[in-house]
Amino acid sequence: MLADTLTVAWKEWREFRDQLFRMKRGGLSALIVVLMLGIFTPLQMGTTWLTSPLMLAYWPLLSSGMVSTLIADAFAGERERHTLETLLSTRLPDSAILAGKILAAVLYGVLFTFANIVVGFLTLTLSRLGEPFVGPSPSHLMYVVVLVVLACTTLSGVGIFISLRAATVRQAQQTLGIIMMVLFIGPFLFIQFLAPDDRVSLATRFATMGTARLVGWASAILLLASAVLVSLARARFRRGKLTLD
Amino acid sequence: MTTPAIQTEDLVRDFGPVRALDHLTLVVPAGIVFGFLGPNGAGKTTAIRAFLGLVEPTGGLVRVLGFDIRRESDRIRERSGALLEHHGLYERLTAEQNLDLAGRIWRMPRPQRRARTRELLEQFGLWDRRAEPAGHWSRGMKQKLAVARAVYHRPPLVFLDEPTAGLDPVASAALRDDLASLAVGQGVTVFLTTHNLVEAERLCALVGVIRRGRLVAMGPPGSLLQENSAIVRISGSGLDEPTAQGALSLPGVIAAALDRGELVVRLAPGATSAALVAMLVQRGVGVEEVRRERRTLEEAFLELVGEDSAGARSPSGGAMPGDGRAG
Repeated sequence: MLADTLTVAWKEWREFRDQLFRMKRGGLSALIVVLMLGIFTPLQMGTTWLTSPLMLAYWPLLSSGMVSTLIADAFAGERERHTLETLLSTRLPDSAILAGKILAAVLYGVLFTFANIVVGFLTLTLSRLGEPFVGPSPSHLMYVVVLVVLACTTLSGVGIFISLRAATVRQAQQTLGIIMMVLFIGPFLFIQFLAPDDRVSLATRFATMGTARLVGWASAILLLASAVLVSLARARFRRGKLTLD
Repeated sequence: MTTPAIQTEDLVRDFGPVRALDHLTLVVPAGIVFGFLGPNGAGKTTAIRAFLGLVEPTGGLVRVLGFDIRRESDRIRERSGALLEHHGLYERLTAEQNLDLAGRIWRMPRPQRRARTRELLEQFGLWDRRAEPAGHWSRGMKQKLAVARAVYHRPPLVFLDEPTAGLDPVASAALRDDLASLAVGQGVTVFLTTHNLVEAERLCALVGVIRRGRLVAMGPPGSLLQENSAIVRISGSGLDEPTAQGALSLPGVIAAALDRGELVVRLAPGATSAALVAMLVQRGVGVEEVRRERRTLEEAFLELVGEDSAGARSPSGGAMPGDGRAG
């Protein structure tokens, strides 16, 4: 199972790497985003870019946004390019195909985040030459890793679930876009509907919770969401139904 | 007794109101090249998809390599290779990477993969362009690469859906030789669908003709030719329209007409020309030559699938001379 998962991930990664080095479509946009976010944002925010607890929400949102550009293609793209049927006619188990595609997407999100962090760190270090060294704490880095991996897995679960039945990449992207909008804007809208007292109470609760506990809760929710979504995608993965005409 | 490579019994597959496979019953012995012939939309591709577990049958039984397609389709896919309707190559990957992927999928060790990739790319004349993305290639080259991928892991059963589509005549002939040697030399069962009836006639030990999801004929190409009507051309002096009409009254004569001074007669399956010649001699015709034309598989195929419609064609398959079809 692991070897098969890695084979699928290898294939996905090879295809994506080729796209990246040829500076086409997603590849070029990813590079632009890394340069934009890795240089301009750190210069604007200063060292808080590396240390602020708010960045623990920023990185998962950013990485999952990037994953969404890739994951919609997972099955819908193969279907569109007429490679899905051939892939399904091989000995690869269903779970390995699914896991390989999720793994490739999560890896992409994680690498994208850390490419940003490295570029941003270098930018800040160079802009503050002669000043005391400032870097993220190990616990902050660990939280980023955990949250980014879980956020990317959750988003991959949603994306795979949609992509499995979408006839085209465009259709998958449109549906995923709507879902992401609900996921990202939904909580803020929800807060708007709360009574002012409830809002204050909620904010106080978050503020007094502590970063570690907050990250723990967020991780638990993301883990649960990932498990549910991947299970749903697994249930939807039926070879006999995947080759749409 | 050897297990048949493919065995179906009353296989049915419906797509909504459309019945793609209609009680298809078929036995394909192991170790042969089997040709599956049929017009567009006859159900050939659906049958291959069903054999690989890519579409769920609506009804019926199917065993491939002895495995039930409903419960053991993973074992079937493990032991088979396929070139489906589309070549299915990853166009951003190079030819070498596409084949390497096939080797990885079938868990071949790296040295073995490298050797096999080189062997197949050289065999198909693609080695020099191995580092190019497959998407930059011509359709024929992609098709060759897709065939190479299908046989990469030396499976005992290979499904090829129109393998020579897009290939030039030289490449087609070379591929035919390769496929024949796979069956003869390595005991591989090749299940191929084709529109190229010359190819089927040359390559296949057994052919099945499918029409509207039903198997309408099956046997060695030679037997299909014999099972169907024969064309006899008679030349000589004294052949005229009343003679052609007279020939039509004989049992076993389906159609008769004059074509450039020759009498062209279509005989029913199993009928001989002896009575016809006797009748002509009796009428005073100076018979010089009687030629029984060998029907091509294409003609037999057209007859089987019903495209050779009555009234539109002559006994020999062309337009009737003088606009008069006798029979």
